[in-house]
Formats: sequence, C-alpha cells, structure tokens
Amino acid sequence: MNWNNAREEKPRLADGPTLVGPESRGSGVGFERDAGIREGVGRTDITMVTFSLAGTDYGVDVMKVKEAVRFEKLTCVPNTQPFVAGVYNLRGQIVSVIDLRALLNLPQAGRQETPIDGLILHLDDSLIGVIVDRVDRVIGIPAEAIQPQHPISVNGSTAHISGLAGYEDRVYVMLDLEHVFRRDGEGGGREGRTDRGVPAGQPLAAADVAAATGAVGKEGTDVTDEDLRSVADGLALFNKLHVTPVNRQWVCQRLEEWRRLRGEAQTAVQLADERDAADFAATFGSACSGRLWDRTYGEAVRNVMPTVEGAVVNAWNPGCGRGLEAYSLAVLMSEQYPDKRVKVWAGDNDLLAISSAPSVSLAADAVPAYVQSHTVETGSELTFSGTLKAMILFEYHDILHQSDVPQSHICVCRDLLSILKPDDQQKVLSKLHETIVTGGVLIVGENERLDHDVRWEMVSDRIAAYRKI
Amino acid sequence: MRVEYINPFVESAYNILKEMLKCDVKRGELYLKSTAMPVLGVAAIVGLAGDVEGRVLFDMKRDTAIRVASAMLEAMEMEPITTLNDMGRATINELANMITGQAVTKLHELGFKFDLTPPALLSGENMEISDTGVEALIVPMEVPQGRIEINVAIRERA
Repeated sequence: MNWNNAREEKPRLADGPTLVGPESRGSGVGFERDAGIREGVGRTDITMVTFSLAGTDYGVDVMKVKEAVRFEKLTCVPNTQPFVAGVYNLRGQIVSVIDLRALLNLPQAGRQETPIDGLILHLDDSLIGVIVDRVDRVIGIPAEAIQPQHPISVNGSTAHISGLAGYEDRVYVMLDLEHVFRRDGEGGGREGRTDRGVPAGQPLAAADVAAATGAVGKEGTDVTDEDLRSVADGLALFNKLHVTPVNRQWVCQRLEEWRRLRGEAQTAVQLADERDAADFAATFGSACSGRLWDRTYGEAVRNVMPTVEGAVVNAWNPGCGRGLEAYSLAVLMSEQYPDKRVKVWAGDNDLLAISSAPSVSLAADAVPAYVQSHTVETGSELTFSGTLKAMILFEYHDILHQSDVPQSHICVCRDLLSILKPDDQQKVLSKLHETIVTGGVLIVGENERLDHDVRWEMVSDRIAAYRKI
Repeated sequence: MRVEYINPFVESAYNILKEMLKCDVKRGELYLKSTAMPVLGVAAIVGLAGDVEGRVLFDMKRDTAIRVASAMLEAMEMEPITTLNDMGRATINELANMITGQAVTKLHELGFKFDLTPPALLSGENMEISDTGVEALIVPMEVPQGRIEINVAIRERA
C-alpha cells in the first residue's frame, strides 16, 4: 500500500459507504471516547448472560452459552496449563473447565468450596466450561449501549474484550471468549510462548501490557500512558492509524522522538490536526512502499521465501494499490521458483488504483534492473510482459469481505493492518493465518510486529517477515 | 472481483440502458458488498458458468420496473404497462439478458469464456438475497425512471 496515498484511501476504508453500511459497522467503533454510554431504551439487540469476577461485571453473548452450572466435582488433570481447572463430567460428556481468573490474569481468590458457579459455553463445535465468581442474570441491551473500550485503557489486550455495555447503573465488560480460547488452543504454540518469556497460561494481554509499558520502560524511555493514549487518539482520528500491539512498538519509539521534536519546537505533544498526525506517521511507511521493490529489498524478500513442495506457488498481496509491489513479488518468485507455476493474487479496495494495475506503465528509469527483462517497451514507457501479467490476478476486493484466495505460501500485507480498526486487525490476522499454509511466510509493514501473536514466528526482523507455525 | 470483469459490466449496462430507454444514464459510485442485502422489489438474476462462476442481479423497485418496462415497450411502439404483468416481466428479463449478454461478449473478446443461464425474475416485498462466500460488486445506475442496481458476483473456479 502506498503510504503517501493512504490518507486519501483510508477514510473510505474506514467509514465510507463503499464498504459496509454504518448500521453494520457501528458508529462508535474506534476511539470516540466521549460517545458516552447511553441508557438502554427498552430495545434488545443483544442478550447477554452476565457474571461477576473479581468485583467486575462481565457479559457473554447468550447464544454462546449452553447452560449455567454448578461444578460439583472437578477432576484435575496433571500437567495442564495453569488456567485449566480440570475436567467436568457434564451428563456423560467430558468438558474442560477453565479458570477465568487465571486466564484473564486477575488476582486469584481463595478458592471457594464446591459447588462452584460456572457456565458451559459453545466454542466453535465443542463445549468448554468456565469458572466464574457468580452467575448474575440475563439482560437485553440495545446496540447503542455498547461502546468499544479504548484499546489501551484497560489492563490488558483488547483482543478478548468486544466492548463495554452500560445497563442500568452498571458497566459490563463484554467478553469474546471464542477469541480467547481459539488463540490459546491453537497450534500447540504454548512452548513457543514460553520461549518468548511470557509465562505459559497467561493470556496475550500480559504480553501486550509488557510491550506497551514494561518493555518500553526498560529501554529507558519515559513514554507515559497519557501521552500514548492521546497520540493514539490523534492518529486514529486524523490518520486512521490504529494503535494496537501490531504497531505499538513503533508508536512508542516514534513518540519518544516526537517529544524531542516537539520539545524543541515548544509545542504540545498532542496531535492537534491532520498535519500533526501526518507528520507523526511520516516515518511509518515501509521501504519501497507503492513502487517496484529495489534489489536490496527484493533480495531480503527472496531470502525468506519458504521451500515449496508442489508445482504451484501461491502468493497473496492484499492492499496492493497500483500493483507495483505485486509485480515485484511475481518477478522475485519466478526467480526463486524457476520450475514452478507462480500465481499472485493481488487485491485492493481502491477502485481507481486497482483498475490501473493490470495495464500500468512506467518510465524506464523507474524499473530496477532485475525487473527489466520482464517488461516490454510501449512507446516511451515500459509495461510488464504478458507472461508476468498472467501470473498476477488483480482483484477489486475489500479485505474485510469474503475472499476466494487459495492457500498461499507467501503473503505480503505491508502497512495495511495498522489502518484497520483494532477489531478488523484481528479479523484480518485470522484470515491471513487461515490463508497461509503452515510454514508459509507473512510479510507485514516494516514498523509492524506480530511478536505478541503466538501463531507466528519471526524469520526476518529487517523486513518483518513471520512464518506460520 | 477480478479487475478485468468490472468494466465490461459497467459499459454494457450504460450502453444498453441508454439505447433502450433513450435517455441520460448516470452511473453511481461502484462499491463492494459481501453481506446479505435486501432486494428492492424486483430482481432479475442471470447465472454465469464456465471459467468462472457467479451471477448478475438487476435490482430495482417495483414502480421503477414498471416505468422502465413501459419505456422500453413504448420505444418499440407497444402499449405501456401499468402493473407488472407477464409482458412487463418478460421485458425486464430481456433487459437483464441484453446487458449480461453484451458484457459476456466483451469478456469473450478478452479471452474469458463462460455461458449464461436464462434470466429469472424474482419479485416481492421484504426479500433478501444472501450468497455467502462471494463478494459482490454493486454498479448503481440512475435513469429518469428510477435507480437500477446491478450486482455482479463472480469468482474464479478453483
């Protein structure tokens, strides 16, 4: 994605009518902290089962709840994760039971006597039990009463919290438990997580908090939560750049630099307008963004390309803009896999940019030497050869929609995640994970990192390449 | 949706509507949609099969359909209609067929091969269409008789 154009593109990506109607996206999504939680007005859009845990009220979608139970006797299974309280015999069906306090990193209560209050939840196709302090009641709330929480305002990752709901005089934290469990259950990545210094059994939240505060503190910076929050608000508002664990490392580093610059200019750290936000984000874009990759970057990409068994190598390049990065990728892949069929699926939701992609032409001096042999002269400019064009399928596509991209070995998704809303980032990351074959490689923006996500293993820090494990 | 498919549909919709209704046609902003969507009232659907699979849906309000059909019939010196009768339905189907046919012809010239199914007309109140797994391109067309939305969902055969 061409970062320079991204500002024009982003509003459309985020709230334009080109995507989904406002009714389905929710006007409050994002950083509108002052939107306020309105009182329920009697209409019920979402029914939640509520429960309390460590003094806080939580809610889960009633559709996810099979039943409320009292666990009479939990059978401990040795050598499981600390948050697994045991297994429970639910009328002959064995259900794993999770201690939500442990999973959500809440202080442990002195364990009460059995029976213990709990819920049995549908989790994809299986059932899972969770221990709570007390199952409260079922409430129906209108959609307006739900407000997404501020991604950095809560002690932990936002990943498993789908929003905050005001009802009567209480605020309920809405949990997306499927999200919590899917991540934790997936890929046997537990050992990997331990290796990275995050104790097994802690939710991703812990890693996020460490990344946002502790880790940064250790590097000797004095980034405060307050500044981070205000800059995050500014970036989201003016630049549609959403601060999440994907880019938090860069934001913290940049914030430190920014404070110095603003200190010299004697202006406030806050991003007051679009220009400020653009200045702040100026260093965010990746190298060779929106143009043909130079040889150095190309070599770095070639170095991380995985070994492929079959006769076909697939790649996916969402957010390809005018497609120049997709062309570079196709050239490099045909060099790397000379005896295989290379297919690149490239898509963008900017109709103008993507429409020009199949027939793009360039001045000769804008084409690096390694790409020259894949071009033909048309008048004074160069266009790409038919063979190269046949390798790439350009699609007008919105990454938040269904896609038919086949299982891919390589995926280049640079600087795209950060301009999606936090929820959508999670969705797209899951989609990338589904699309990429095990052992396949995902390249994100140079200032984006997936170190917090146990599903990926870094293969190159320089170009931010990750292998699916 | 593959970029190459977009223009043939936009162009043929524009050309055919202009030719049949003998009036100004305005094209709205194209956009993508992937969720279930309501049908305005009358929808003609044409299936595509071959190298690709998918369908094209022509969606409009009932009174728009009546006005469009009347305008087409009058242009051929036939009686206009006041209700959506057999003649009206056949006319809307024919319009859908012509637009899709011309688009497919253009695509054939570009080397994409696929066939059409005969059009079918759906009409009724409060209908919704949902085809999961396909992203649809919406081409809104404004004509004096009302608004016609052309909804193209095509995907490559795996």
